[in-house]
Amino acid sequence: MTILEIIALCFIAMGLIFFLGGTVGILRLPDFYSRLHAAGKLDTLGSLNVLLGLALYSLAPISLLSVLTALKILLCMFFVFMASPSATHAIVDAGMDAGMPHWRKR
Amino acid sequence: MKILAIALCLLLGGALVFVVGDFPDWGDPMSPPNDYRLSKHFIENTMEETSVPNIVTAVLADYRGFDTMFETAVIFTAALACFFLLRTWGRRPSKPDNVYMHLLTGVHVRLKHGKTLSPQSRTFARVESEILRYDLVTSTVCRLMIPFIQLFALYVVAHGHHSPGGGFQGGVILGASFLLLAISHDLRTLRERFPEVKLMYLLIAGIVLYSGVGFACMIYGGNFLEYEALGPLMGVTPVMAHSLGILFVEIGVAMTVMATMILIYNYISSLGTYERGL
Repeated sequence: MTILEIIALCFIAMGLIFFLGGTVGILRLPDFYSRLHAAGKLDTLGSLNVLLGLALYSLAPISLLSVLTALKILLCMFFVFMASPSATHAIVDAGMDAGMPHWRKR
Repeated sequence: MKILAIALCLLLGGALVFVVGDFPDWGDPMSPPNDYRLSKHFIENTMEETSVPNIVTAVLADYRGFDTMFETAVIFTAALACFFLLRTWGRRPSKPDNVYMHLLTGVHVRLKHGKTLSPQSRTFARVESEILRYDLVTSTVCRLMIPFIQLFALYVVAHGHHSPGGGFQGGVILGASFLLLAISHDLRTLRERFPEVKLMYLLIAGIVLYSGVGFACMIYGGNFLEYEALGPLMGVTPVMAHSLGILFVEIGVAMTVMATMILIYNYISSLGTYERGL
């Protein structure tokens, strides 16, 4: 196992931990907005970490092809980074428009 | 009730797991679908006969291209059915009011008798109605993403015979990019770029292109959709003509699928009036 692979696996494992946190958040948090908060933030960070890990992993025998693959994965990261938080924003916006009540501590 | 639901889930899940045991192993070369001589023929000869690396596309658009043509016709019929079922023609005012929103304060202004403000105005943005909000984050991000989505869709269409993809998938992605425009801005923005008539032309042009390739093959002395006959016309070898013919056919499929997606969304979201969306 090379150093690069170990770093890649660390990133993937970290991403999976974020995904776990996001899942627990979606299941456990009390209302619409806080659940979306967990989903939007942690899923984005988790997928960014996993994709970065995969990009590093695909670099292993370095060649033109593997660099191109890594660049494509980086492009995916960019689009996930743009799309996921703004989708969450749009859903929260729609919730506010529809008059969804937010959670209060009793 | 909950116990009943759990019991039902367990029963159904158990039945599914029980059946899985009878499946051939994943990628088993000796399983019945792989062992049949027709599939052997496809696997061994597709590259020599059509010069298409993606066997699935070769089977779909070449070996059984006739079938795929009528699949496209089914989608065309679905769009027509939606047109006849959902489209309504109400009386529309000759000069409708225009609603503008002041971007800084969010105040709405209604201009009567079809008066307009300058489209380049940076302080006012035209919106569909007072209820609709103009969201800067969503519309900016969508404006950024849509060109890339469309580029990717064209790649999926054009690269369908080399890698996973093809007309249906690319057409759906292309249609979805326009739906994203309709959702992030409003239906009016989409309608200005794609009037209903143009979508109808596109819908018909797709299926005409598909069957036109078939008839062109007949004119040049082959059977219907026998792309080899088009080789002399396009100036390539008969094997390469298969590959190019598949590309033309996929473009036709993509046009029909894209127009169908946009039309169905527009009819449903505007309640058939094609005037004002969600």
